[in-house]
Amino acid sequence: MTYATAAPNLALAPTQPLSPPPGGAAGLPRLLPDRGAVPVDLRTHLGRYGRPPYRGRRRVLIPVMQESGLTGRGGAAFPVHRKLTAVVEAGTRPIVIGNGAEGEPASDKDKALLWISPHLVLDGLQLAAEAVGSQSVGLYVHRSSRLQERLRAALAERTAVGIDRVPVEIIDAPPRFLAGEESALASRANGGAARPAFKHPRVFERGVAGRPTLVQNVETLAHFALIARYGARWFRSLGTAEEPGSMLCTVHQADGTRDVVETVLGTPLRNLLALGDPAQGLGAPSGEAAAAQAVLVGGYHGAWLPASMAARMTLSNAALRPAGGFVGAGVLVALPADRCGIAETARVTRYLALESAGQCGPCFNGLPRIATVLDELAGPRPDRRALADVKRWAGLVEGRGACHHPDGTVRFVRSALQVFRAEIDLHAQGRCTAPRAQPFLPLPADTASTDADWN
Amino acid sequence: MNGITGSTALWYASRATGVVSLLLLTAVVLLGVLVNRQGRLPGLPRFVVTGLHRSISLLSVAFIAVHVITAIADPYVSIRLTAAVIPFTSAYKPFWLGLGAVSLDLIAALIVTSLARAHISRKLWRGVHWLAYAAWPVALAHGVGSSTDLQRGLLLWLAVGCTLAVAGAVTWRLAGAARDVPRAERAAATLAQGRPRPRARLPHEGPASPRRPADYGRPADHRRPATDRLKEADLR
Repeated sequence: MTYATAAPNLALAPTQPLSPPPGGAAGLPRLLPDRGAVPVDLRTHLGRYGRPPYRGRRRVLIPVMQESGLTGRGGAAFPVHRKLTAVVEAGTRPIVIGNGAEGEPASDKDKALLWISPHLVLDGLQLAAEAVGSQSVGLYVHRSSRLQERLRAALAERTAVGIDRVPVEIIDAPPRFLAGEESALASRANGGAARPAFKHPRVFERGVAGRPTLVQNVETLAHFALIARYGARWFRSLGTAEEPGSMLCTVHQADGTRDVVETVLGTPLRNLLALGDPAQGLGAPSGEAAAAQAVLVGGYHGAWLPASMAARMTLSNAALRPAGGFVGAGVLVALPADRCGIAETARVTRYLALESAGQCGPCFNGLPRIATVLDELAGPRPDRRALADVKRWAGLVEGRGACHHPDGTVRFVRSALQVFRAEIDLHAQGRCTAPRAQPFLPLPADTASTDADWN
Repeated sequence: MNGITGSTALWYASRATGVVSLLLLTAVVLLGVLVNRQGRLPGLPRFVVTGLHRSISLLSVAFIAVHVITAIADPYVSIRLTAAVIPFTSAYKPFWLGLGAVSLDLIAALIVTSLARAHISRKLWRGVHWLAYAAWPVALAHGVGSSTDLQRGLLLWLAVGCTLAVAGAVTWRLAGAARDVPRAERAAATLAQGRPRPRARLPHEGPASPRRPADYGRPADHRRPATDRLKEADLR
């Protein structure tokens, strides 16, 4: 079969005989198997989706992606077709890297996707490589031996069947919060430390080995593989007009359970999180949803929202942006009413400060100071100046890093100061509403202590 | 006492601009070290240090240019343009003027790479900028050796003062380099300097809880392991 004529509308139609698109009547799930978490092996994958629908020429898939409105699922929601175009126009011999680093401790969705549906990601990687005309492809994943072993086995299987056109190299990502930042990825792929760099030249112009580099989140690549098969219209059949499609979310319920779910953009947050009845408080009998006091959207660079406000919101940037939040990489956390929001924020801010790459003064000096004073605010009768200090320092570090680490941290801290204002006032009197002091937000046990931890 | 006449004006101008250049170059080196150590000048914002380092280095280029041009133009001794640029080719005091040519070339390299800094790699710029520590002593030696001005009186003390200042700054620079905190430890170092955190516990407001669990801040995942969608242990 040839694809010599590649008008976008032709590409919209399925390009080879296929089983019906994934998803039942509701159209979900698309990326994960219908039921359970049984990893999809190559035989099942091929039986369901067939071989990757190569177009035979570069650029052909770019207008399809434009029409689909697919945006990056790593957090920044950057339009995929614009990145593809930029890489194609930046020069010859580009490099394509699938980004599965997922440094966010509260996010599991990329790991889950790579574990359960690796072949969709690998299809997407091959198709994206074809779209920009790349012969060098990498997959950037955490130095987790079991996951990497499985991915290597999957790649070997694919090579044996002959469905991969370009060999894929697996690149080790250190377990750092910032390791998945695009320029940090480029630096790591070049053999250096996974530290972010200043923005110029941009990664898509000169990234790995000085060549134009396309970096896409692994979930984005999985959507890419499906859009290449079922077309832009199919993709847009879910989601909102501005933010089409589905996305994977890591959902942390107030009762402490944590799950990766695939959901449609524009879904009410109430449908994803059991927000409970805040008025009922802590006496809720077991089995009922624990009451949530606040919801964290967008992960540790995201924002807190009061539970009452979150209950009226939908999962979309259009709804969350005016409230200071954003969808990001789909991390949603319901903070139960029996924990202290300020103490949680202080813990996470301390972690974020220690995850500074130590390159920009405002970041490696400012964030630890902010974390220290937040710690004080989390205790009884903090210094009178503490709140003003946090606010002032937040303004001083904002926009002054090579990457967005200071900005994201400041967004998180500021939203906490607003949402938990009553709690701060109570701490000033030496009291706290939270009866439990057990940590709630997940944090890794270790942060970087030597430069080798960044490699 | 000899007055300045038409025939001696160039000679005096060359010597005077030479001395001023020495002062300016000393200031540039001191400010450069201050930039590197991220120090500040009392009462001035941080960016002033970088700004002064830059502006004074350009000013010194102007003075060095006048110094070289007047020396060439002065008919008292014949120095050719090539001798000012190519070291040790001068007929007059080949060694001492050669040192001047060496420092001139080094300074030219520093200025050119700094002006083109946005377009070249940071590594290249940094590498060339290390030459500053060679350019200054070579320039001083040129001054002391090629003219008797710096060998006695007030100007001798000036040269000694400049030398001591630069030596002190370089020592400070090296001592600081030895103490540099590795990047991975910088945030932790700042965190350790923070105010001591209050360790008292807050009495809570809500209904009494039977027991207060462990403190915040210990990374312990108390929650139930991930659901059937994802077996976390498989990923480790």
